[in-house]
Amino acid sequence: MDQAALDPQVVEGLKNLSAKDKQDLNTFIQAEGQKAQIQSTIHSLTDTCFRKCITSKISAGKLDRYEEPCMQSCVDRFMDANMVVIKHLEQMRSQ
Amino acid sequence: MSDPKQAIMDQVRQQAALSNARALIEKVNEHCFERCVPKPGSSLSSAETTCYTYCMEKYMASWNTVSRQYLGHVQQGVQGQAAFGAF
Repeated sequence: MDQAALDPQVVEGLKNLSAKDKQDLNTFIQAEGQKAQIQSTIHSLTDTCFRKCITSKISAGKLDRYEEPCMQSCVDRFMDANMVVIKHLEQMRSQ
Repeated sequence: MSDPKQAIMDQVRQQAALSNARALIEKVNEHCFERCVPKPGSSLSSAETTCYTYCMEKYMASWNTVSRQYLGHVQQGVQGQAAFGAF
């Protein structure tokens, strides 16, 4: 994420936050980080799957009846493949 | 002065939305330029512009489909094993 300069007033205000507010912020930032991670995975999956599934001439804005299921399967198989890697690594570790 | 907690949260949300939009625009342009403008001429033809419009819509539709599908997996993963989305 881009670096954002914080308003010095805000920084000053941060020092006087209550314990509860700090806790709230912590939880919020953690959740936002997770969201950003998921979104970035969606971006890279869309990139990969678009390349694989949208191969014919682009002549409509909507996904056609081949493209839509292809995109879904692409995500599913990617997850499967990912699982294969994890399983294999686990197996290697236990050997 | 405004609530500092709220200010931080707003700024984080805004930054997240911005970087998400930026990533989408970058990807759309990358794919659609490749697909719609194979041989760049002296200007964008109307056919190329039309293709771009369709391509953009299609890419965003793809993004939504992938998002739905992937979130389904993530939610299943959270129920089974925690944080599978974090690979």
